[in-house]
Amino acid sequence: MTLVGSILIDGTAYAMILFMITVGLSITLGLMHVVNMAHGAFAMLGGFAAVELMSRLGLRFELALVIAVVATALVSVPIERFVISRVYGRPELDQALLTIGVAFVAIALVNLWLGASFSSIDLPAWLSGPVDLGFRSFPRHRVAVIVLGCLVSAALWLFIGRSRFGVKLRAAVDNPGIAQSVGINTSLLYSLAFAIGAGLAALGGIAGAELLPMEANYPVKYLVLFLAVVAVGGQGTLFGTFLAALLLGLVDTASKYLLPDLASISFYLTMLLVLALRPQGLLGRKDVA
Amino acid sequence: MTTFKRLAALAGALLLGGAVAHAEPVRVGIIAPFSGPFSNFGEGWKAAIEAYQKLHGKTAGGQEIELIFRDLTGPNPSEAKALAQELIIKDRVQYLGGVVFTPNAFAIAPVVEEAKIPTVIFNAATSSVLDKSKYFVRTSYTLPQITVPIARFMLDEGVKSVVTMVSDYAPGADAEASFVKTFEAGGGKVIEKVRVPLKTTDFGPFLQRVKGSAPQALFIFFPGGPPSYGVIKAYKDNDLRSTGIRLFGTSEADEKDLPAIGDAALGLESGMFYAGAHDSAANKAFVAALKDVAPTAVANATALEGFDGMAAIYHMIEATKGQRDPDAAMAAIRGFAWESPRGPVRIDPESRHIVQNVYIRRVEKDADGKLFHQEFKTYEQQPDYGRTDARHDAK
Amino acid sequence: MVDIVTSPARTEPARWRAVVGPELAVVAVGLLAAIIFPDDLGFITRINILAIFTLSLALVVGQAGIGTLGQAALFGAGSYAAALWALHVTPEPLSGLLIGALAGAVVATGSGLLILRTRGLTLIMLSIAFAQVLLEIANKAAFVTGGDDGMADIPVNPIFGVVAFDFHSRVGFGYTLAALVAVYFCLRRLVASPFGLTCRGIKGDRLRMRAVGAPVFRHLLCVYALGGAVAGIAGALSAQTTQVVGLSNLDFELSAEGLVMLAIGGVGHLGGALLGVPAFMIVRHVTATINPNHWLLVIGLLLVVTVLYLPGGLYGVFDKWRRRTERSGS
Repeated sequence: MTLVGSILIDGTAYAMILFMITVGLSITLGLMHVVNMAHGAFAMLGGFAAVELMSRLGLRFELALVIAVVATALVSVPIERFVISRVYGRPELDQALLTIGVAFVAIALVNLWLGASFSSIDLPAWLSGPVDLGFRSFPRHRVAVIVLGCLVSAALWLFIGRSRFGVKLRAAVDNPGIAQSVGINTSLLYSLAFAIGAGLAALGGIAGAELLPMEANYPVKYLVLFLAVVAVGGQGTLFGTFLAALLLGLVDTASKYLLPDLASISFYLTMLLVLALRPQGLLGRKDVA
Repeated sequence: MTTFKRLAALAGALLLGGAVAHAEPVRVGIIAPFSGPFSNFGEGWKAAIEAYQKLHGKTAGGQEIELIFRDLTGPNPSEAKALAQELIIKDRVQYLGGVVFTPNAFAIAPVVEEAKIPTVIFNAATSSVLDKSKYFVRTSYTLPQITVPIARFMLDEGVKSVVTMVSDYAPGADAEASFVKTFEAGGGKVIEKVRVPLKTTDFGPFLQRVKGSAPQALFIFFPGGPPSYGVIKAYKDNDLRSTGIRLFGTSEADEKDLPAIGDAALGLESGMFYAGAHDSAANKAFVAALKDVAPTAVANATALEGFDGMAAIYHMIEATKGQRDPDAAMAAIRGFAWESPRGPVRIDPESRHIVQNVYIRRVEKDADGKLFHQEFKTYEQQPDYGRTDARHDAK
Repeated sequence: MVDIVTSPARTEPARWRAVVGPELAVVAVGLLAAIIFPDDLGFITRINILAIFTLSLALVVGQAGIGTLGQAALFGAGSYAAALWALHVTPEPLSGLLIGALAGAVVATGSGLLILRTRGLTLIMLSIAFAQVLLEIANKAAFVTGGDDGMADIPVNPIFGVVAFDFHSRVGFGYTLAALVAVYFCLRRLVASPFGLTCRGIKGDRLRMRAVGAPVFRHLLCVYALGGAVAGIAGALSAQTTQVVGLSNLDFELSAEGLVMLAIGGVGHLGGALLGVPAFMIVRHVTATINPNHWLLVIGLLLVVTVLYLPGGLYGVFDKWRRRTERSGS
């Protein structure tokens, strides 16, 4: 039973990190139908911003986290307005190529600044070390990530499900043409949604820095991982991304515990299986695929 | 534009080549990653080479030395071969150096053998690499060379049961094989041999497994960077030390990564051929020169691979007076012994691999609160124990 | 056989030019490059091989609209098949090419059955997953493939028993150039044929093609398998000219690079591959010599600029220039 508990906790923590980073990508995909290959760059940006704020300005972790997330969200606005929006409506290939180019530029800039070394984020005392959950002790950081992930999911669900912004967002996802004709400012909506996605990615990047350390190559190194979560979950569905992150996170963790030799194959096989049986993803809409 | 320049250069070279052959500098080609995820090898080697040249000058055997650097970002055998060919044919190098990855070394072997270019391998740590060409020399290490003394040390410390955990790729398999062989031969028991996929980011599950098996020690081998960071952090986060499981490794807490890994590395015991804090006059001179030419460079094992690689190349150039004589160069380097910043070293005449001390050390904090490796035991002049071990054929 | 319907006024030389003109241009450029840069034949050989690989992408992505990021699986399949053939059956190179093509086609068929019913992101992810699983299998099957050490010293006999491969890559250059011209010729005929027309129809509007009764899935599978064969040929050539095969032949980076090279050259035309590959390789070579770290910045900006301002890629630019001169000429 310790094994099951371990798989659940470790797998869920990993899944929460994946969810936080990729939920923005899913929203962007569902809303603007853009495959943003540079999405990982926002997670990286947030992570490095936090590192620099803490090391150069001596800010404490909590403050650095908030500032880094907000800063990333703000930085994403001009990127979306001036670069990404230029490929709305264009074929997927063009979008993929453009955003890969943006990712390369981001990597190159970080490389010039930092070289190939990786950076870690110094967690404050209340997040480090182990916490005893009875049957096993876990790194406190993992438990905190699970709690954070649940809070973020709940907040998003409330926000998108209940708020006016959420209503407009869902309308625009369902039918952009009609949404525009009833007076919804879709451009503003897109920018806001993109910024929220970028901010969440930054949050996920910082929270996940223990597992996915900050390095120049980050956006490309984990690109397939992030895209896999979105594809398996289905585009534009929050709950789908959540489920996919859980599925892939748990499968990956379980195989590390039970069949370590096959751990990397099991991830891709799971993705293959889900997409072969349900090309639109777990909760995606059928007409998209 | 470039075409004319090229034609002019070609014509010029032909003219000069015929008439003034002796004034040509000795060209040395260095193939290494200077961009991408492994660029710390290339950058580290470049800095170390500059340090060497600061200490020993830019000439040898009466000739000036010209270095040509070529970027090879990762394991890519076809590109490695192409770069080697280009350096040999187009740039007319006399010596080659560098090479991080074993598949790349395998790929350039036939080229180097046919063109007779003495090549100093700065890294590629698989034993069988040197068998692929009689012009290969190596100044790094092999996994058996350092894991055998580590296993012996652990046995001496009274460790009877161990779990091994290595990265699932060729060097990891090498490390596991030689460690297990030595440990079991000494009466120890290997409870489990865990192979961790290279792309793993979450090491928690693996360390939980180890905790469950309750060995007296955990032996790890991981490449530097995020994997080592992850494993050491997970060891600490999952609280293995308090349950009495000691952690032994090799080069995981490299000086370049120590600041990022932080206090989690304290107490890690490992065996390696060099630590930045090694106490010797030669090392002090090296560290000073390195700081001078490249203030952001770190004195670590990677740097020494390049530094001693240059020492080998300089020796070959001296022995041939800067003239192209590959067989004389190889004869000179075989058996050559010198005092390196890592200690006394020698190129084994038969295997052409570097014979060196292996130091057991522990991560501690110095007076300034900075983390470093404190050496406390020396295994002298260790050879390549994997020499006769046919782990796998490349064919 | 495609019948080019000509008006009576068109003369014989013009028809001849339409049939083999581009191929002769490729030969001319190739030979010129070899004469001007005799020390760079190894580099030019690699350009030839990657051009064939990118042609397979031009066919599959550009003509049929199958957005795949896993084409390296087929290149790698061809490489390993040719290597194993050379090591265990015969080092005769031409049969090795056939084996490479066959391996590429077979693996593509398998992959196609899995991915071709999907589109967009799902297709991309499935193609990536398939290639990664293949890579993991190659990694694990080290007793056959050499694992992550790869296979080295792959033997290769002289072509036709006479022309032996040399150290300076002269023969390798000629061999790969001949293969490139042959592949280009065949693909050009294919693209101009009704088969090619159907491909472009499917790329444009799948639903409408189904409505007119075209067997979409079967057609896509056919194109994808052909593309696999071409990629397999490129892989086999790589194994034979470098005599080395590694896991990097199967890796995502190769797939992505191929797509980038095609994008720069121009996705919509086969000629895009022939322009994009040399441009990419030469710019990379030059930039890396100056400063390896700037390469990623250059390629990133190049991609952004190409997508936003030069959607037809280099071929689009070339095409506009050609049409302008033709118009002013006649």
